[in-house]
This record gives sequence, C-alpha cells and structure tokens, in this order.
Amino acid sequence: MDEQLTRVAQTGDKRAFAEIYAYFAPRVKGFLMRGGTIEAEAEDLAQDVMVKVLRKAELFDPTKASAATWIFTIARNARIDAVRRAARPPLDGEDPALAPEEAPRADVLCELKERDQRIREALENLPLEQYDVMRLHFYHDEPHSAIADRLGLPLGTVKSRLRLAFEKFRKELGDHL
Amino acid sequence: MSNIRHHPKTETLAAFAAGRLDEARAVVIATHAAICTECAQAIEEFETVGGAFLEDAEPVALRDDALENVLRRADPGVNVVTPQKPAGDLPETRLPLSAYLEGSIDDVAWRAVAPGLSQSVLKAEGYRPGVLRLLKIAPGVRMPRHSHKGEELTVILRGAYKDEIGDFAVGDLADLDAGDTHTPEAIGDEPCICLIAAAAPLRFKTVLGRIVQPFIGL
Repeated sequence: MDEQLTRVAQTGDKRAFAEIYAYFAPRVKGFLMRGGTIEAEAEDLAQDVMVKVLRKAELFDPTKASAATWIFTIARNARIDAVRRAARPPLDGEDPALAPEEAPRADVLCELKERDQRIREALENLPLEQYDVMRLHFYHDEPHSAIADRLGLPLGTVKSRLRLAFEKFRKELGDHL
Repeated sequence: MSNIRHHPKTETLAAFAAGRLDEARAVVIATHAAICTECAQAIEEFETVGGAFLEDAEPVALRDDALENVLRRADPGVNVVTPQKPAGDLPETRLPLSAYLEGSIDDVAWRAVAPGLSQSVLKAEGYRPGVLRLLKIAPGVRMPRHSHKGEELTVILRGAYKDEIGDFAVGDLADLDAGDTHTPEAIGDEPCICLIAAAAPLRFKTVLGRIVQPFIGL
C-alpha cells in the first residue's frame, strides 16, 4: 500500500486512492468499533480519516512510516479529536516542514520495511496474555480499569501485563537492532 | 541529543503512541520527543504496533456512498495544507509546545506564586482531568517537599534542577507516579523553566507548603 499512497501523494492518482480506501477504510472502521466506538460514529470517523488520508497524502513519508502506521496515527488523532475537539501537538508528521522533499531512497525504505517486520515478529512473539492486553491498549482509549473489567482481571494484573509486554517488546526489538 | 539522562517510562511512551494520554501529558511527551531522538524512535515503534493492529482489525464495510462522499469532501478546491505558524529563531518555537504559547517562552506572562516561584497555566484541558502549566524557579530556590495525587510529567525547557532522583537539565523528563515525593531545587545561574502536566493538585508534605498552597494555587 506504500506505493499506492506515494502515487496518491505525487499525482493525486484516484485509482491508487480507491485501492487504499478499499483496504484501509473498512479496517479503520473495524478498528474503531473494536475499540468500543458505536457503528454510526465509527462510519463517520472512518470517512473523516479517509478524507484526511487523501488531503494529507503529500505529507506521507515512506521513509518514516508504512502506510498502515501513518493511517493508524491519523485514525488515532481523529478519535482523540472526536472526544476532545482540541488540537493535539503536531508530532505526527502533519507539520508541512516535516514533509519529504526528495524521492525516498531505496535503502532507507528497505531498512524501514525490515524494522516493521521486526516489530511484527516481536509482537507475535509476545505471550498471548500480554498480546491481548497490548491489543486492547491500542484499540481502546478507555482507562485501564475499564480494560480490566472487560477481561475480568484485577487492575494491577492488567497494568503489570502491559508493563511486561512493553518491556519484552522493546527488548526484542533492541536485540534485533 | 544524547545528553538527555531522564526519559519517560516505556508505558508512558506506549500510551502516548496509542493516543491514551490526556492533552496536557501528551504535550509534555511530544515536547520531550521533539528533543530526544531515542524516545521519538520508541514512539514510532509503538505507532508501528498500532499500524499492525490496524491491519489486523476485522474489516467492517462502510456505507455504499462512503467513497463518493470522501472524494467529494477531499475535493482539490479545498485541498490546502494549513500553514503552521512560521518557525522563529528560538528552538522553543519549533517545539509542539509553541501551539500553546502566545509567542515564545520569553513572552510568557508569569504570575508570581511565591518568592522565587512563578507560573503560567496553559490552556490544554482535555476530556480527562489534567493541568498543563509552566513553572519558573529562580536559581537556588527549593520547592516545598510535595507528592502527587496523580501522575505528573515534567520536562525541563531551560536551566536545571536537582531533586532526590537526580539532576535534570534541558530536555530531561521526570515521569512521577502518584505518591512519589520530591523536593526540586533550581541549580545553576539561570532560572529553571519546566513544563508540567499534572493529573491532580500537588500535596505538600510540610506545614509551610500546606500554608502557602492555597495562595500559590499549585
């Protein structure tokens, strides 16, 4: 999908956007619904996200993040804005000063793909119970106490599993770097 | 910059990447990450995790007219990238914090709250309780010993302070839990300016602290 998104950025290629839309829009909606957003709201938010993807495509930098990661940050911010309505600090590459200037170098792209692959592997290597709390941590913006209720676990258990998951995850990544 | 010694906890970085922090704390983390490449990278890694979960999410079809709707709303006529405030010479104006300031840190309207201590509360109320403020401690001034009801994040913007944990200089971040107690004291020749996000008011441990608290509004 990175190639398609780059094409959208460079030439406004509508067919490439349609491919991105077909792949990501239902996933963004599903992601939001898994996080407890009701369907009508998830539909609106998913559409908002895809509008932003199209409008801000030129800010997509394939040397910094994959299309999935970039769209995740847009969906994350859209969800925050929907609840908060206030601006979020622009750390997510929405600052035009951060927009890429040159064509991405193949070796940089390669490195990023390798890193993404390592992150996926690290994720898959987590014990299931840690993987589950980590996933809820990303799907939901509700407090950890609500996640604990959902899983029927004490809050302390959820917090310690998350901490273990984060540490293990970072260690795995570190070991590969 | 690799001379940063104090960083947020991993779970705080993960919470930031997942979009779980209140706005006040998000500003503090973003400010640290703008200076600390190590933490910026950790955030990117956690965002990649978010991307992986997004790809793995079970797809739910949108309404039939949704694509058409999206294309119409993103129409080139309004396809303009909003220009940001021009970046000034001061490095601070390039920080995420700049969106919350009128001008630079030199233009902040400080309100004296105690001898050698002044603050400026910034507008960053999220939907979760949280307070964002700048605190200026004059050289050599020590804050009364206090603990926190909730988590507190502090990033140093100018000068330095030391407390029971260690020395904190520009870019360093203190990630304190509820109940952690400390007694920061500004060190060096210039005032120490920190950006603080607190979930709840401070609790002073000393009689003096408790007496001045209502007046200084911390």
